[in-house]
Amino acid sequence: MQSIIILSILVLLAPLVGGLVYGIERKVKARMQNRMGPNILQPFYDFFKLADKRLVMVHSTHAFLGVMHFISIWVAVAVLIFGGDLILVIFLHLLSTALLIMGGFSTRSIFSHLGANRTAISILAYEPVLIIMAVSIYAVNGSFQISSIIGSEPLLYKMPLTFIALLLILPIKLKKSPFDVAEAHQEIAGGAEIEYSGIFFEAIYTAKWLDYIFVYALVFLFGGSNYLLGAGLVVGTFIYLNALDNSSARVDYRQMLKFSYFVALPVAFINLLITLFN
Amino acid sequence: MRSLQLLVLSLFALPPIAGLLLLILPKVLGRIVTILSVVALSAISVYLFVNFDKPFQILIPGYSDKAVMIADVLLLAYFAFIAIKRKSVLVGLLTIGQAIALGYLIKLLGNHEGGIHAQFYVDRLSLFMFLLINIVSGIIATYSLQYIDEEDCSPYRKKFFMFTMLWFIGVMNLVVSADNLEYFFLFFELTTLASYIFISFRKDKESVTNALRALWMNQIGGIAILGAMIFSLSTIGYETLSFQTLVTSAHTVGLLLPLALLAVAALIKGAQMPFSSWLLGAMVAPTPVSALLHSSTMVKIAPFIILRLAPAIKGTHLSLAIIALTGFVFLAAAISALAQDNFKRILAFSTVSLLGLMILMAAIGTQTAIVTSLILILFHGISKCMLFLNAGVLEKKFHLKSALDMDKLAESGPFTSFIVCIGFISLMLPPFGAFIGKWFSIEILGSTLRETRGLTALVMLAIACGGAVLSLLYFKVMGLLIARSGEKDKVTFETTHPLYNINLVLLLSLILAGVICLPFLLIGYFGPVASDVLGSAVAVDVQSNFSISIGNMSFPVIPMILAFLVLPVSLFISLFVRFKKVDRVKEYACGEKIDYKFNSFYFDTEFLLPYFKAVGLVFFALIIILTVI
Amino acid sequence: MFELKKFRKKSPWILHFNAGGCNGCDIEILACLAPKYDIERFGMINTGNPKQSDILLITGPVTKRTRERLVEVYNQMPEPKVVVCCGSCASTGGIFRGMYNIEGGVDQFIPVDVYVAGCACRPEQIIDGVVVALGILEEKTKEIEKTIKLANKPVVEEDGQVNRRNMPAELTYETAV
Ligand code: SF4
Repeated sequence: MQSIIILSILVLLAPLVGGLVYGIERKVKARMQNRMGPNILQPFYDFFKLADKRLVMVHSTHAFLGVMHFISIWVAVAVLIFGGDLILVIFLHLLSTALLIMGGFSTRSIFSHLGANRTAISILAYEPVLIIMAVSIYAVNGSFQISSIIGSEPLLYKMPLTFIALLLILPIKLKKSPFDVAEAHQEIAGGAEIEYSGIFFEAIYTAKWLDYIFVYALVFLFGGSNYLLGAGLVVGTFIYLNALDNSSARVDYRQMLKFSYFVALPVAFINLLITLFN
Repeated sequence: MRSLQLLVLSLFALPPIAGLLLLILPKVLGRIVTILSVVALSAISVYLFVNFDKPFQILIPGYSDKAVMIADVLLLAYFAFIAIKRKSVLVGLLTIGQAIALGYLIKLLGNHEGGIHAQFYVDRLSLFMFLLINIVSGIIATYSLQYIDEEDCSPYRKKFFMFTMLWFIGVMNLVVSADNLEYFFLFFELTTLASYIFISFRKDKESVTNALRALWMNQIGGIAILGAMIFSLSTIGYETLSFQTLVTSAHTVGLLLPLALLAVAALIKGAQMPFSSWLLGAMVAPTPVSALLHSSTMVKIAPFIILRLAPAIKGTHLSLAIIALTGFVFLAAAISALAQDNFKRILAFSTVSLLGLMILMAAIGTQTAIVTSLILILFHGISKCMLFLNAGVLEKKFHLKSALDMDKLAESGPFTSFIVCIGFISLMLPPFGAFIGKWFSIEILGSTLRETRGLTALVMLAIACGGAVLSLLYFKVMGLLIARSGEKDKVTFETTHPLYNINLVLLLSLILAGVICLPFLLIGYFGPVASDVLGSAVAVDVQSNFSISIGNMSFPVIPMILAFLVLPVSLFISLFVRFKKVDRVKEYACGEKIDYKFNSFYFDTEFLLPYFKAVGLVFFALIIILTVI
Repeated sequence: MFELKKFRKKSPWILHFNAGGCNGCDIEILACLAPKYDIERFGMINTGNPKQSDILLITGPVTKRTRERLVEVYNQMPEPKVVVCCGSCASTGGIFRGMYNIEGGVDQFIPVDVYVAGCACRPEQIIDGVVVALGILEEKTKEIEKTIKLANKPVVEEDGQVNRRNMPAELTYETAV
């Protein structure tokens, strides 16, 4: 009972923590570029400002799908935190992305369509690796349940290659350079989220924070019961992602697909084979 | 018991009788008869399922064996006639091959004068198929009453079409309950004949070519069944024509060749590569035919046969070869589908792909795998049926065939576009049945990795990638369908003919009800059926933490409820929701005001198809070679 | 009291629109984003998307090609919003004033809140202008702001939804002259 309450509080706090992570990220990124960077609480300032804007939308269906995107990603994070089935969690996350994509498709806006198309392609790029990762974890651990993964010994030592593969596709997942075609701020002005504004954009914006939580929780899993190691991995991944984001240029979607299928996927697969034949 | 047997027999007899009545009655009366018989068929199959306690056999008098033999010969004669009329060498040669095999079989049978055989065997798997066949095909039949009426052909041909459809439903009921392989062969060939008649219905050149292709490909399947019979009769230990005996004695005999040949027949019916082209060619026929072939009937024979074989082939080289083939087809068909623009072709490729997954699960044959296969068969059937019927509406009402032209659909036909959306989503995302199939299959493959020493690792990779490719495919099509401008906020639904509308709504509610009832279905429906398939009890239990355990897997209910609220419910609401006091602005296009035409990414994967087919052929050869060795 | 209004100042998002300038001012705006001036420390983001921005930074004179786009983009911005003209071109037409293809300053078409002078205004000036604009932003209400030329009346439809799609008028002969 007590653990359920603690977990529920964690779920409720997830957007807050995610916002903080985003704030820190902006600061860290700015420091890497030798800039001052915004306040760490900047995402929350943005949040409140967006709540104050005049309500504007394209049509209700579109706006509603945006709100549902936020709710569904929260559901995915909740199932993850409550220790559900790893593959189910991956697909619940796909569901939330699907709602964003459908939101993007539901308007007659060119940038929105381009962004939604590219998001769909980035799913193609990262989903197989995530699934292979889940299956490798099963091969090592004998269970798909996150609650039992988190109680087992650290996965990192047994499946370092899978972790590397995860690191390789995380930029695609989080839409960071060099694989940020789906968002591509200077090119298609934000992609699928472009038509949202005011509180509807706020939903998308907050969903982005939850995405951070989702991804870093996946990374945290590799620490297993060694929470310190998990935290270390999260910090390391955070720095790696920002360094990569700052130092690389955008590649196009074909290169992204090729990279994920010819580099990341084989790396994860080799690790799976190694665990199987041990 | 006796009454159940009679009811099963009525399932066989009712459709052809209704068809004959339809031929002689005037239009309105014919419609009423069709609808009544369809309702009766559905009711009977539900009643059968509810009141069923243990598998039973139906004994029929010995002289019907002779009748079946004569029917076989007549059928071959008709095939020969087609070959001569259409000047098709391939069909002719295969017919001759079949005739020789049949003659040899008759000679063999002469030596094997046994007593009276049970010719039909009805267990829960048959009843499961009855439910799917009768309900879904019934919906298709009522739908096609209107569809074929709008078709451009003579009234007689319209009636003939409906007649064929109805007797085909009857034959399908026979196929899934036949136990004697000789009978099975006849019904199998009758479905082949039905597909020929259906596909060549429009009588133009393309239809006839495609129909002939369907004919000769399925004839290969027929030869495979004949071969299975001959080998089974001449192998010491089998010496039987009974499906059940064949399966149960396979372990003691050890030689799997008859089973392998049956599996080959199944895989051909199931349009696995390289034999996928007959199913893809079937789309030249009127759309209800595609719905019928793709969803509930024809192609579902494939997973049905493999499910029947599952206890015998589990863990053998044969099952490994089937797994390899179908895993490959799952990915290959998904990739080939990306290059397609035609809506029906996209659906067809995705059918081939998902059929691969169903057969794969059936071939693995563990408890959970069987349940997964059943889930996929049922929910894929319903979703595909809805999508194809909708494709018919798109053609008849909106005159749209290519997905690329559909970018204004959400404005002119929001209901149609919504149906397509739900249909596609129900094939890939939680909480829908087909998704559960995909999810379980990955976990099952993952958990069997250790036993197969990584042999299935590649298959799992194919499933993981194939699933992602299919999602991309569905998104691609959906993206073209659901765009609407913000000029009007309120969605006004279009009106279509009530026969179209009712059936689509019925299917939609079946899908949604399937999601809601899934926990109950798992316990009371899929579990028992899987027990009958395996011949041993499948443990489906409710666990304390609101999850249902099936074998070694667990199905959590709460996340599924959440997913149900998030996805289908919210999509439904999104059509009706209207935000008050919110301004509507134009879509951002750098300040331009032009209306754009939308398109999607183009994936040039067409050139891969021949290679895929070649690889598929290699796998087919592998199935035979592995079992012979 | 917890007032949402005061957060307007803390996270102004910028939309940068070049109405037809020589790119001198645009380079200066980009310089603001670069490490030396780093306007992100005030929470500013260059969004490139009118629907999520608060401040419209316009450079260059309004040409015949851009006038409709300018009005359209302005209308897509949700209120409260402020307009800052960067450079003399945007303010008055500047060096291009009187040419056959030039309509004049931005204030001929949309209401301008802050003018930043200079032919190529310096980054410091731009930041200064934006800071002044922030003061104005905080005072603004959420009422719809209409453009000066090329404007239709906003139509209130059922459910209280205002249809702003037709607010930018089509260019007719009269408005063109
Ligand atoms: S004000 Fe000067 S620098 Fe700026 S756009 Fe005009 S001409 Fe160029």
